[in-house]
Amino acid sequence: MRLFRLELKKIMKTRRTWVMIAAALFLSVGMAWLPVTFEAVNVYDEAGNRIKGLEGIEAIAYLKDLQKEITGVVTPDKIKTALREYQACLREYGVEGTYDLPEGVYERRILPYRAIMHGIKEAFANRDNGMARDYMEIDPEWGENYYQACEERLISLMEMEQKNNQAAQSAALKMYQAVEKPYVYYPGYNSNATEYEGFLIMMLLLLAICIAAPVFSTDYQTGADDILRCTKHGRIRLGIVKLTAVAGITGVLFVICITIHLLLVNSFFGWECLKTSLQIEWSATTLSNWNMGQFQLAIALAGFLSFIASICFTLFVSSRCQNVVSSMAISYIVCLAPLFSYLMFGGISVLEVWLACILPSGGICVPSGFLYEVLDFKFLKVGNFAIWEPYAMLCFAGVEIVFFAVLAVCSYVRKKG
Amino acid sequence: MELTMEHISKNFKDKKAVKDVSLTITPGVWGLLGANGAGKTTLMRIVAGIMKPDSGQVLYNGVPIDVLKEAYRDVFGYLPQEFGFYPEFSVADYLEYVAALKGLTKKDAKHKIEKLLDRMTLYEVRNKKIAKLSGGMKRRVGIAQALLNEPEILILDEPTSGLDPGERVRFRNLLSEFAHDRIVLISTHIVSDIEYIAMRNTIMKEGKILSVGTTEELVELVKGKVWSSVVPMEKLQKYERELKIVNLKNEDAGHVVIRYLSDEPLTKDSVEEQARLEDLYLWLFPEALQKGGSEA
Repeated sequence: MRLFRLELKKIMKTRRTWVMIAAALFLSVGMAWLPVTFEAVNVYDEAGNRIKGLEGIEAIAYLKDLQKEITGVVTPDKIKTALREYQACLREYGVEGTYDLPEGVYERRILPYRAIMHGIKEAFANRDNGMARDYMEIDPEWGENYYQACEERLISLMEMEQKNNQAAQSAALKMYQAVEKPYVYYPGYNSNATEYEGFLIMMLLLLAICIAAPVFSTDYQTGADDILRCTKHGRIRLGIVKLTAVAGITGVLFVICITIHLLLVNSFFGWECLKTSLQIEWSATTLSNWNMGQFQLAIALAGFLSFIASICFTLFVSSRCQNVVSSMAISYIVCLAPLFSYLMFGGISVLEVWLACILPSGGICVPSGFLYEVLDFKFLKVGNFAIWEPYAMLCFAGVEIVFFAVLAVCSYVRKKG
Repeated sequence: MELTMEHISKNFKDKKAVKDVSLTITPGVWGLLGANGAGKTTLMRIVAGIMKPDSGQVLYNGVPIDVLKEAYRDVFGYLPQEFGFYPEFSVADYLEYVAALKGLTKKDAKHKIEKLLDRMTLYEVRNKKIAKLSGGMKRRVGIAQALLNEPEILILDEPTSGLDPGERVRFRNLLSEFAHDRIVLISTHIVSDIEYIAMRNTIMKEGKILSVGTTEELVELVKGKVWSSVVPMEKLQKYERELKIVNLKNEDAGHVVIRYLSDEPLTKDSVEEQARLEDLYLWLFPEALQKGGSEA
C-alpha cells in the first residue's frame, strides 16, 4: 500500500498529469454546455410576427412549455392527434411541406408534436422497401395500432438488415418485445447531449493515454528502470503497482469527469427528461428497454470498461516500447483504429463489426462505439447464436482488461536489456 | 560470501561485448578497469540481473541469481552508469520511493535516508527537485539509493563521474568503510578511484578479462617499462610522436620532464620510475593517450 501511495505521488507530481486532468475537467464542463448552445427557437404571436428569439436554457424552457400536450405517456390518441394536427395544418395553408408554411406557423402548430412525429413516419414505413411514407399518406386512425406497427416495422427491418441471420432476427424481436410500451416522453432533452457524452469519453481516453503511455517507457528511456528493476520489489510488485496506480488515477478521473458532465447536462436539460423512452429520442424500433437516464449510465459504464481496457492496452504497449514517442504513437493509432476501420468499411462490413468489438477502444470510438451500436441493429454471428453488438463490446472489454493487465505486468517483468 | 561469473558471453548484433568471462569476487572492494567500450557496463548489467547473457551464469554463494530472484535483489545495490531519475521528485521523495521498493519499513527508511543524506552531504537539498541539482549532486543521490538497503553486493558503474576531487575522496573513504564483509565492485576508467582502495583489480579489454590481482601485483606487469627524462622543449613534438608519454612537467626554461612507457629507455638520460596502476592502464589502453589522455 505504501508503494502504491508513492507511485500515485510520483505520477501526480508530473506536470503532464496535471495538464491532462485540467483539460479533462474543462472538457467535462464545456461539453455539457455545448449542446445547450445548440438550442434556439423563435417566438411568434398569433399573427405570425416574430416577437423574440430564445437561446440556450431559455429555449429549453420554452420548448418544454410548448410540448406539454404530449408530455408523459405517448398514447395512440396522442399519435393520432399529432398526425391530424399536422395534416390539418398543411391542408389549411395548401402546402406540401412544412418548409412552405408561413413564418411562425410551424412553431405554433407542428413544433409541439415534433418529438413524436419522426416515430410515426418510421412505424408506418413501407414494409416492402423500407421507404418512409409522407405524413399526408398516413391515416391518423392508424395511430391506434402505432405500437403494433413499430413491431412489424422492426421485423421487416431485420429481414432487410440481417437477411441470412435468422438468429439475429429472432433475438432482435425478443429484445423489442421486452421494451416497455407505451413509450414515455418528457420534453426538453437534446439527443446531441448524449452524443457529446460519447464524444467526451473518447476525449478522456485520448488524454488518459497521454498519462499512461509514458509509465514504463519513460523509465526505460531515462535508465531509471535499471535501478528500480534491481530492487527487491522492483519486478512483479512494481509492475502491478504501476498498473493499478495508472488505472486508478485515470479511472477516478473518468468517474469524476463523467459525473460532473452528467450532473451539468441533466441540470441544464431537466432531470425529468431522463424518464423519456429511448425510442422517442432516437429510432422508434430501438431494441433496448432503457430510458434516457439508463442510457446515459449505460454509456458511462460501457465507456468505463472500454476506457480501462484501453489504458491496460496502453500500459502493455508502454511496457514493450523503449521510448515514450513510440509508446504514445502506437497507443493512439490502436485507440483510433475503430474510427479508421469505420471510415474504411463504412460501418457495414462484418470485419468492421468484429473489429469494433475486439479493439479495446471499440466501445468508445466515435462513430462506432457503444452509444451508436445500441441504436443500431448489428449482431455478431457465432455459430447458431446471435449476440447483440453492444453486449459483445462489454464482454470483450471485460476480458481485455484482465488480458492486457496481465500482459503488461508480465511484459514488464520479463523485459531484459 | 562470493559472487561468481561463469563463462559469461554477450553479443550485440555483430559486436561481441563480453567474451567468456569467468571471475569470482569475494568481500572487499574490487575494481573493474577498462577503457570505454571494454564491456564493463554490459558485464555490470548482467551481474545486476537486468541483462541476460547469451551464455554463462552469475551465481551468488553458488546459487544462480535467476533462481534467487527477489532474495538476490534484497541484498543487492546498483548504481548504473546512466542514472535515470524522476525530475519532478525531490531528493527525499526519490529515496523514499526506492526505499519502499527495497522493502524497507517506513521507520527504517526514514532513519536510513536521514543518515545517507547527511553522509552524502545532501541534507540541505533534500527537498529540492532532482532536476535542479548539479551533476555531482545527482550522482550522490544515485550512490545514496544504492546504499539504502545496506547491500551485501554493491555494484557501482562509473560512480565518480561528475564528482569534484573532494567528493571523490569522501566517496572513496565511504566505500572503504562500507566494504567490510561486503562485495563492492566498482567499474571505472578513472584509475585513481580504485588505485588505493581496491583489494583486487580486474582489467577488462575488448570483452575479455586480461588480468586480475592486487594493485601491487598488477603494477608488476609494467615494472621496468616506466621511464622519465628531461628533454628540450623543441624536441617535445618528436618525442610525443615516438613515445607513449603519460605525463609532462615544465622544468626550467626550455626543458620539460616527460614520463613515458616503453620496453627500453629511449633517451640516454632516462631514469626508471616506480610504476603505478595508471601506467599499467595506459600501457594496456594506449588509445587513451591518443584520445587526449585518461581521466586518471
